Amino acid sequence: MIVCLGLIALSSLAQESTALFVRADRILVQPGEETTGAVLIENGIIVAVGPGVAAPEGAREISGAVVCAGYLDAWSSLGVEPASVRDGKTSPATSVLDGLDLFSNDHLRLDSLESGVTALRIQSGVEAEVGGLSAVVRNDPGQDGPGAVLMEDACVAATIGVTRNGKTVDVFDRVDEVDDIADLVEAGLAYRESWLDYEEKLAEWEKEIAEKEEELEKDFKKAKKKRDEDIEEAEEKGKEHKEKKYKEDKKPKRPRTDTDKETMARVGSGEIPLVVEVHRYPEIRELLDRTESFDRLRLILAGATEAKPFADELAMRRIPVIVWPTPMGVTRPDEFRMHDLELAATLDDAGVQVLFGSGGHGAARDLPALAALAVGHGLDRTAAFEALTLGPARSFDVAQRIGSVERGKDADLLVLDGDPLDVATRARFVILRGEVVVER
Amino acid sequence: MITTLLVSSLALSGAAVAPQPSFAVRAAAVHLADGTTLEDGVLWVENGTIRAVGRGVEPPAGTPFIEHDGALSAGIVAAHTHMGGGDGLQDSTRAFLPEARVLHAFEPKHSDFERALAAGITTAVLAPRETNVAGGRIAVVKTSGGTVLERDGHLHLSLHTTALWGWREPTSWPGALAHLERRLEEREGPFAEIASGERSVIIEAWDRHEVSRALEFATSHGLRGALRGGHRAGELARRVRSSGLSMIVGPFAPGEDREHLRSVVALAEAGVPLAFGLDAPASDPEALRLSAALCVREGLEPQTAWRALTSTAAQVAGVADRVGSLERGLDADFVLWSGPPLELTSRVEAVYIGGELVFGGAR
Repeated sequence: MIVCLGLIALSSLAQESTALFVRADRILVQPGEETTGAVLIENGIIVAVGPGVAAPEGAREISGAVVCAGYLDAWSSLGVEPASVRDGKTSPATSVLDGLDLFSNDHLRLDSLESGVTALRIQSGVEAEVGGLSAVVRNDPGQDGPGAVLMEDACVAATIGVTRNGKTVDVFDRVDEVDDIADLVEAGLAYRESWLDYEEKLAEWEKEIAEKEEELEKDFKKAKKKRDEDIEEAEEKGKEHKEKKYKEDKKPKRPRTDTDKETMARVGSGEIPLVVEVHRYPEIRELLDRTESFDRLRLILAGATEAKPFADELAMRRIPVIVWPTPMGVTRPDEFRMHDLELAATLDDAGVQVLFGSGGHGAARDLPALAALAVGHGLDRTAAFEALTLGPARSFDVAQRIGSVERGKDADLLVLDGDPLDVATRARFVILRGEVVVER
Repeated sequence: MITTLLVSSLALSGAAVAPQPSFAVRAAAVHLADGTTLEDGVLWVENGTIRAVGRGVEPPAGTPFIEHDGALSAGIVAAHTHMGGGDGLQDSTRAFLPEARVLHAFEPKHSDFERALAAGITTAVLAPRETNVAGGRIAVVKTSGGTVLERDGHLHLSLHTTALWGWREPTSWPGALAHLERRLEEREGPFAEIASGERSVIIEAWDRHEVSRALEFATSHGLRGALRGGHRAGELARRVRSSGLSMIVGPFAPGEDREHLRSVVALAEAGVPLAFGLDAPASDPEALRLSAALCVREGLEPQTAWRALTSTAAQVAGVADRVGSLERGLDADFVLWSGPPLELTSRVEAVYIGGELVFGGAR
């Protein structure tokens, strides 16, 4: 958590930003909603959107063809120190923020920022079953601005890869790993149950003690006399005097504190989502079966190479899927072997919430191109735009801050020279919390 | 959406399925090889070849017409692939196989070709792997129907580091070059043919030093043809240009090192003819168009990128007299797209080879 403290400490250094006035032919307010006019930003927050908005005096004025929300890469490790990314020994409570490296891959982060990726859901521990707590961070080039962390505990991420440490994980082991993860959720829920139980018993005990004390207080003399008599009687009979037992001696046992179990309890109770990278049919089947009884769990699949047959079930259970719409065999060939570019379209048609993620730390830059490719393979344009913006913002509980161009939200915006999904479109300006951080 | 395909003549159902001796397609946008676009252009096909293309083309009355509200372009030419070859394109015991012909590994029904069609690729160069110093002679085939455009094409050489194996000769650059020099003195056979300029070469050269070595080798012997690779050839762009060699680049993956993309842009700016190629059998044919798109995002002119997928690729493969452009007399290999073919958002809706519908269309 040192990083977070550092960020807070640095926040005092931030300059107060003046108003920014962005004029555009098209303002993509949110997926499916468009307007024209301008966006007014004050102190990093969007204060007005639409045709009637006028520029206040002194505001910086910029313009472009299209204004839209910055993209959120739902699956990244950008900015995380490489050894932490590959760590095989993380556990549920491990926080990715502890593995941030302010100096690693800054050129990749800048590249992705220039292509419009203004926020990332970052994870570590991809070689472990459970990588720990993911965070949603702003793609701030130096990670030094205040509020670079949008959500420090966005979800718990788990990985059921086809390979681990360069070795193939066979299907039985993969199914076992699903069971391990489900067991962890169960253990988390049991842990929370044991605490609730403890707290209940403790309260009961405290109440009884209080009652007893009150009673003793009332009849103190009587009780003392009774005790003296008892001691005397015991002496006469040559026996040892036994003190009367009170409730105090049976104080309920406090369960051991376990942050991993506590984290999994938060997952099991739906406070934070669980993202599971899973690719092949058998383990997807097992995962859906094993999690069916967890009625509050917010499961999100990632990768999901062979998820097509589960589209209806995923829709019915409202399980979003993070798709990496890349041509197959390009990277991580084992996991994405037989990856079908029509996956996103099939899931969306069935009613599944599709999110886009770049699956690795270098590829965030090309997320808009890959979103376009998914459209070329049948995905609805609006759904593709949603999968880059509001979809992941909602899934990771940051939609009140980012994901659309609406009044009151943080001004993390793009000013583009064309449609977001067109191949030659470039971001003329990238704005983070009202400040122009890319300009070209 | 093939609902956009409206056949206006009487030969409704037949037009989309059986090959027609003569038919025409009117598309909202016809993308030509030079990068220009014709609005409401007409392509007139007769006996499997292009009879005419243009705005005012009027085939005789009664010619079946297909109306398409999207884009029409020439089929894509993949300038370098290992489609349908699997591991059978790699000889692990001999480094020099100049007589080998990749055509012998051609299996027209292989699923690689179906996937290529779905990506709008109608012609593919079949090349040996880069692990042999002299891997043999390329073939150029259509992705449907088993048509072979070139049985005995360019000689494929490799000056890529993977051609130097630890346990078979040659194991060093000097060794590989000494062997090649010796072979070039032969009086007949493929090496004699490349020395005389009768036959072209494709030389695998990826890293900067490999490109430099390949350029020196090729220019000192007056070889013509193309280099394959050029990931880090940006600084050498002018040398590549003056060598007269083309460059076959790609495929590029998401998150590709930007230097590789910049190298393509630099080569294009220097005037080097460019073509896009695919990788090992596993790589998705869609990687070809994605590669072009990633280069465009990096600053490559869209027209250049489009030519590198079609007409220049056909020139590099030595089959520009048959495919790669929408021109009178060429094979009627074309694609109907939902939008501009370079846009990744555009879908392949129908593919025709030799005037025959081979993918999409009526579904």
